[in-house]
Amino acid sequence: EFTERTFRVSNGINEDHPVAVGMQAMQACLDEKTGGMMKMQAFWGGALGGDLQATQAVRSGLQEAVVTSSSPLVGMEPALGVFDLPFLFRTPEEAYAVMDGPFGENLNEKLDAVGLVNLGYWENGFRNMSNSQRPIETWEDFEGMKVRVMQNNIFLDTFSNFGANATPMSFGEVFSALETKAIDAQENPYVTIDTSKFYEVQSYISETRHAYTPFLFLFSKAIFNTYSPEEQQALRDCTIVGRDVERSAIQELNLKSLAKMEEAGLKFNTISPEDQAEMLAKSQVVYDKHKDSIGADVVDQVQQILSELRAAQ
Amino acid sequence: MTWLSRVFFRFLDILLALLLSAMALMVFVNVVMRYTMNSGLPLSDELARFAFVWLTFIGAVVVYHHRQHMGMETVVAQFGTRGRLVLMGLSDVMILGCAIVLTHGTWKQLPINASMSAPVSGLSMAWVYGIGLFTGAGIIAITLERLFRLVTGRITEAEIRGFGGEMEDLYGTANKVKAGDRGE
Amino acid sequence: MTLLVFIVSLLGSMALGVPVAFALIFCGVMLMSFMGMFNTQIIAQNMLIGADTFTLLAIPFFILAGELMNAGGLSKRIIEFAITCVGHIRGGLGLVAIIAAVIMASISGSAAADTAALAAILIPMMAKAGYNVPRSAGLIAAGGVIAPVIPPSMAFIIFGVAANVSISQLFMAGIVPGMLMGFALVVTWLIVARNDNVETLPRVGWAERGRASGRAAWALGMPVIILGGIKMGVVTPTEAAVIAAFYALFVGMFVYRELKISELPRVLIAAGRTTAAIMFLVCAALVSAWLITAANIPNEIIGYIEPLIESPRLLMLVLMLLILVVGTALDLTPTILILTPVLMPIVAKAGIDPVYFGVMFIMNCCIGLLTPPVGVVLNVVSGVGRVPLGKVIRGVWPFLIAQILVILLLVAFPSIVIIPARWFY
Ligand code: NA
Ligand code: NA
Repeated sequence: EFTERTFRVSNGINEDHPVAVGMQAMQACLDEKTGGMMKMQAFWGGALGGDLQATQAVRSGLQEAVVTSSSPLVGMEPALGVFDLPFLFRTPEEAYAVMDGPFGENLNEKLDAVGLVNLGYWENGFRNMSNSQRPIETWEDFEGMKVRVMQNNIFLDTFSNFGANATPMSFGEVFSALETKAIDAQENPYVTIDTSKFYEVQSYISETRHAYTPFLFLFSKAIFNTYSPEEQQALRDCTIVGRDVERSAIQELNLKSLAKMEEAGLKFNTISPEDQAEMLAKSQVVYDKHKDSIGADVVDQVQQILSELRAAQ
Repeated sequence: MTWLSRVFFRFLDILLALLLSAMALMVFVNVVMRYTMNSGLPLSDELARFAFVWLTFIGAVVVYHHRQHMGMETVVAQFGTRGRLVLMGLSDVMILGCAIVLTHGTWKQLPINASMSAPVSGLSMAWVYGIGLFTGAGIIAITLERLFRLVTGRITEAEIRGFGGEMEDLYGTANKVKAGDRGE
Repeated sequence: MTLLVFIVSLLGSMALGVPVAFALIFCGVMLMSFMGMFNTQIIAQNMLIGADTFTLLAIPFFILAGELMNAGGLSKRIIEFAITCVGHIRGGLGLVAIIAAVIMASISGSAAADTAALAAILIPMMAKAGYNVPRSAGLIAAGGVIAPVIPPSMAFIIFGVAANVSISQLFMAGIVPGMLMGFALVVTWLIVARNDNVETLPRVGWAERGRASGRAAWALGMPVIILGGIKMGVVTPTEAAVIAAFYALFVGMFVYRELKISELPRVLIAAGRTTAAIMFLVCAALVSAWLITAANIPNEIIGYIEPLIESPRLLMLVLMLLILVVGTALDLTPTILILTPVLMPIVAKAGIDPVYFGVMFIMNCCIGLLTPPVGVVLNVVSGVGRVPLGKVIRGVWPFLIAQILVILLLVAFPSIVIIPARWFY
């Protein structure tokens, strides 16, 4: 019931990212379940094209799989914009509970409709701020700061709303723009700030946790449907095995990256729960503005689940 | 027919000039705004990129029409008129194949692109990437016309010389430098 | 085996007279078929998404800036400025050509545009003063190819995008090697032209020199704006390019008043067509680059040259030789586009600094612009300067050798490139 298959998995990130560790665990699992018949061939650093291009290729059945952050895909599935909403999740556990439960299933169905089989939600993680000006403790600290954001309207609005000059810029240009002070600040998960060496040209790092984005392990629906049920099940099961390894690896690495950056002389600060709550309150306009484009039912569902979770604590 | 094609390619030339000016203006205004008003128009960078895609793929047809795509004429130059005509036919057939592949591929991609919207403007990406249809169809039409003239023996002396890299008199321009070469 | 399909289909179709862009698409079709994954969407998708890159927008803007510079009289002022400085020295017009070439290189990204301006003005002057015409034409050709090495440079932008290397860093790293190329030309010129019996121009007084630099000041300000802007972080290379274009437009129209509004459409159309020709090529190369990656061809090559990985200098030497050979038959842009996806994984594996490699790669490709059978700059000098191609080739070889020696020097001592690059950056 297993055919010998090698399939290409495109990654925008580099091989030193914990996704590589997760994929090793996933491969070990596949080897065991399929007797070594299914092999993943990973491509790193966008060698097969950026996240968007690779995902389009996966949708068209030109290539089997891609591991991509949810943010670039909002143009093809607006509901994914829910992960860009500012200060939605407070802890990784909240995010896991939402994504691994019925809400995640609901999103998977939407992705299925655009030709993508989401095998699992891996972790990209909480995004935090680094900058060259001052520690960010309250939303007012963003005032006048030149912040690089992704080409994404929700991020743009979030930072503009705080009075920052939000500048969309491609990832490749960020380092030199920070170094030459063309921009003051950028926001990414710790691991990315570390591995992209952004911290070398920054002075402050603030744990804003302003957004949590997952990595989606997306398989081409057109190709997936030609696989036998056993193969499909093996892929699904092993992606979950890889997911758990990747999540714990990235948590561990986040701590290491943060320690390394502090050691390099960056001033680190966290945000008090009150200031965090104020940032969220201040961001309600962003929620209101984008609720309809994401889908009111989607936003309501996730907020419903979250308030139940928080009430149960 | 030649009259119509002259008007058409003149129109495309003007379109290229307009797209290029629009791109330059949009990016320039953005820089100026960023440094004078500490704000930018994310929309203008996105639209400039889209204009660039159109400029490239519309311009590719114009450049093909004027036989200004860069090539290597070293081998072809060794052949006489008869040999060059044979090679010309062969390469035209290969170009035709490439253009058909591009057209077919763009067509098949259309639904995928139509279901994706641009991050800032919200424009359907089918409008941006669909321009490949124009490029493919344009090149197919030009090549078919050339093949027809080749088979019926109506290829001009100047075209045969130009195919071998001797550019002097082609289309009345005394310029040996092709479009792409100016950029080198 | 896949490597063989790649080489044969690409070179074979080009030999038949298929333009490079279509040869790359054809090569992509052959690779897909060979790998059993023929799908027309691979071609369409890679080409169209490839053009949709903000960084590449610098290309049309620098092309436009170059066209405006020539049409607006900026190039002419720079040459006049160089003449008042060194025109009176024995062999002085040769030095004028080199100095003007270096200054223009720091404004424009295009070898052909620079060479055209230099050849149009200087070859008639040098012929009249009794200089050996083929040698003068050769010198001007060799001076023109400095343009892509000294920033701004479209070659660096294309390489930077294809290899995922910082364009700002490449720009800064190109300054010293470009100057070295100019210096090598000075030395060679002084040697080969030492016995020429030529008239020198009358020495001009400091007053006239001051006036000429005053006239050229607007043009001489451009490198400061472009490089200063990028270095100070005021602008990205794309933004610097658009500012350069508007600056050249302003100076040409309102300061020198040589550019008429009625000429603008012609300039814009020329720049638009050139952009399309280069960009369509870039897009087509993305197809074959994608397939080269998907087919793991770089790994195949790393297998062949495994022993060389251990000694980066020897590897560099071999790579430089390969690029030189490819450069004889191919123009700058296609050489960069075809070789980058193949070579970069090897360079990374051998631990060679990608910025250093990029500079060396582009310098080498520039030399290819001077080598027959395909050397665009030779054609420009021959066409614009009205010197038969054979004579230009005869005149260029001493300078060609000098520039190859510069490359060998930099292979032996990479720190000549790397240390000042860090300093500038
Ligand atoms: Na230059
Ligand atoms: Na050459």
